[in-house]
Amino acid sequence: MMALRTRGLGKTFRVKKKEAGLSGSFRSLWKPQWETKEAVRGIDLNVREGETVAFLGPNGAGKSTTIKMLTGILHPSFGEAEVLGFTPWKEREQLAYRIGTVFGQKSQLWYHLPPIDTFELIGRIYELKRDEYARRKDDLIERFELGPYLHTPVRKLSLGERMRCEIAASLLHRPKLLFMDEPTIGLDAVVKQRIRELIRERNREEGTTVFLTSHDAGDVETLCSRAVVIHHGGVLIDEPVEKMKREVLSRKNVTLKLAEDAELVDLPELEGVAWEREKREIRLAVDLKRTTIERVLGELIGRIGFTDVNVEDPPLEEIIKYIYGMRMEKEETGWAKR
Amino acid sequence: MLTAVNRIGANARYVWTCWKVNLASAMEYRLSFLLLAGMMFVNNFIWLFFWSLFFGRFPIVQGWELHDVMLLWAISAGGFGWAAMLFGNFPRIASIVATGQLDVYLSQPRPVLLSVLVSRCSVTAAGDFAFGVAVYLMVGDTSLTGALLFVLGLLISGLLFIAVMVIAGCSAFFIGNAEGMTQQLFNSFIALTTYPSDIFRGLAKLAIFTIVPAGFISYLPIGLLKSPEPGFAILATFVAFGLTLAGSLLFRLGLRKYASGNTIAMRS
Repeated sequence: MMALRTRGLGKTFRVKKKEAGLSGSFRSLWKPQWETKEAVRGIDLNVREGETVAFLGPNGAGKSTTIKMLTGILHPSFGEAEVLGFTPWKEREQLAYRIGTVFGQKSQLWYHLPPIDTFELIGRIYELKRDEYARRKDDLIERFELGPYLHTPVRKLSLGERMRCEIAASLLHRPKLLFMDEPTIGLDAVVKQRIRELIRERNREEGTTVFLTSHDAGDVETLCSRAVVIHHGGVLIDEPVEKMKREVLSRKNVTLKLAEDAELVDLPELEGVAWEREKREIRLAVDLKRTTIERVLGELIGRIGFTDVNVEDPPLEEIIKYIYGMRMEKEETGWAKR
Repeated sequence: MLTAVNRIGANARYVWTCWKVNLASAMEYRLSFLLLAGMMFVNNFIWLFFWSLFFGRFPIVQGWELHDVMLLWAISAGGFGWAAMLFGNFPRIASIVATGQLDVYLSQPRPVLLSVLVSRCSVTAAGDFAFGVAVYLMVGDTSLTGALLFVLGLLISGLLFIAVMVIAGCSAFFIGNAEGMTQQLFNSFIALTTYPSDIFRGLAKLAIFTIVPAGFISYLPIGLLKSPEPGFAILATFVAFGLTLAGSLLFRLGLRKYASGNTIAMRS
């Protein structure tokens, strides 16, 4: 069953255009000029229940605007959308009972109060029965390890602690669909990893559909099975994360851990391989269009002694960068747009 | 999904919890809370002191005496006090809309305007409310009828404050940055509600019943206390509720134009 479906969903904003400087300001005051900015340009999307979808794109691509239309915050300028069977901007309240939202830059926690007070308020907002609320709250407190700072005012929490409380608060009413806009923004690597694990756990155990925007490749790689990349307000690519990584960028990163007694010799010249060494670790970037992993490792075995080898896909940032590059090339050479 | 009665009950429980949370939030800084509320109480009394000097020299101005001005202050400060204590965001609607802070309220299954209004408690307003009640006890009619009329007067005055500022704040949906304009209106509104409307003539009188409709505060609730007639009471209540309803409908209409924003926001 579909959790979310959009057809030609789009949003335009009227933006005042002003020339630079004070004289520009006076001209604008006397004769204002407006231009229409197309933030989202007719997006078609289908998300099945239980899916974990990453909604990616550079700043200004229209990610947040799309999420805001799907949660009923913004009215679209054109197109249609159905989220869990509801039209978000027409049936906002009914939909809100069934979805959760986490905006990395907009908190729903009361700044001067401890998170437990906001939890209590959220229990009322979603009309949770008292015993059901208590059970759910205790469960989330345990899983998100919130116990130590549950009674500390939010203003005194670290960003990571606050974000864990924020996500737990958005899960109190057991939403079927969780929208997350940059949930790991500004967090350190350890906290990011913990938050990803917790969200993945909710998806696995409760079947919560996850729809998230992020600039962090780790969020996508760890959490999502599918990636939708948008650019200039339109969908550029919509594929499984694994497929996208495999097909779009034909490069592998290989890391060799050298044996204790191995000599730190330079690597031989190998076609399609760039390398760098840091202490007793050698990192290779292998271009699979020009060579194979098997050939590269075959050349190295016997020449240098290593104790471990790790073959990885490149980080997603590189993939997205590559897709944008490819798109620009296509546009320049007149290729058909996707 | 919910019947109308269930819905009202659920919203009432939500509002009650919000008020408790607001009070708890204000009490986080107990000393600041007491100082701010106390200072506002004293500040209002200083104004009354100036009025007493004025009426010492001119005992009657257009039919108004010191007693009437004190009642006006009781109604105006008391009405503003309860409105700002319980629905503390009403003067900030324009700023909330213009900076995209409605997102959190829109993502929750509650009436948006109600959620916005009850999400803040003005600490200083507790001093205004206490001042209003104290002045009424000093100069007002303390019989049961008098007390009931005072409560009705406070209700009308508070609703007028909320309705006017919600209507003004909604302009942010349509013209964008309306914060400066509504702040100016708010300041003028507050100041003019403490002047007898009868002292204004011609265009000035027209202005205080239209552009800055502060005249209604001295006309409706004070009219109610000065000449308590059922017809006038019904009319005054009807006007106050009518304006509140108009504000609520305008806000609903404005939501279609809401453009959100990328301000980093915390609820306090």
